[in-house]
Amino acid sequence: MSTPRIETLARKHRALLRGFRNQEASLEEYLPRFALRHAEKDLLSRTYVALTQEGGVDRIAGYFSLATVSVERASVEEIPALSKLPKFPIPGVLLARLAVDTRVQGQGLGRHLFEEALGFTLSLATSGPVAFRLFVTDAVSEDAVRFYERFGLSRLSKALPARMVLDLEPLLG
Amino acid sequence: MSRFQAKTNAVLDAELDGLRQQLGLRANQKADLLRELTTLAAWVVRQAAEGRAVVARGEDDVRELEHPVIERLRQRHRHAIAQPTRLELDDDETRRLGEILDGGFHPSRALLASLGRLADPKRKAPDLTWPDPSA
Repeated sequence: MSTPRIETLARKHRALLRGFRNQEASLEEYLPRFALRHAEKDLLSRTYVALTQEGGVDRIAGYFSLATVSVERASVEEIPALSKLPKFPIPGVLLARLAVDTRVQGQGLGRHLFEEALGFTLSLATSGPVAFRLFVTDAVSEDAVRFYERFGLSRLSKALPARMVLDLEPLLG
Repeated sequence: MSRFQAKTNAVLDAELDGLRQQLGLRANQKADLLRELTTLAAWVVRQAAEGRAVVARGEDDVRELEHPVIERLRQRHRHAIAQPTRLELDDDETRRLGEILDGGFHPSRALLASLGRLADPKRKAPDLTWPDPSA
């Protein structure tokens, strides 16, 4: 038994990336194929890994990625009923990915990673140099939808991946 | 300024007929007229979508085309440059977002519990047990 520690993904973790397992192929492939590049070269997102150590060997038990997002409308047609909405685009933080290794699922790590992501976001929204309103994610499965709904995220679309949002404004008072 | 005005059907019909004549088309060439106008409108909309102003330049004056849709298209382009990760909502998603933002704060118990844990300086990750690879 070991307690994970959260670290920002860096090159020193490269050897561990292929050992991560998840039932969603896209979440498993993201770590070795894109996560480092997105963090260091493209500057699209930053990934945080939960590391455990057993017998002196590190393993990635889970991870999440955060990015900035601009929520916009596909159409430019006016919807009069929505005139009270903040003007588009609405800025936010995107929880681009969150995944737990299949071998350690059901032990509370997903909730912990979600809280870490929300904590970083609230900290940035409260005392960071920028302002934004939404915490956004795309849930890849109905199980993921139920997971995020428990934490108050609301589903915008019926299709999968389901776009989900949490209004941060009430949490910032 | 050539701001578009709301016009009656009769005025629009007369304007359409005037355009047909200016484009050198006969009264029975409505499909050709539609094609020509679509080509012109598509060019204008494309320019706006790429962030450009559409102007008419004369000898000693310049008039800019102003229209709410043109302005929204140009504004969207400006924001697209500043924000690399864009997430576009369709109209149903936009209405749903409006309901959420307008619906008041009703936090779930799980969210309140998470906020409570985040405020706890002793918070730590759960202990994990990996399956025994030899089992």
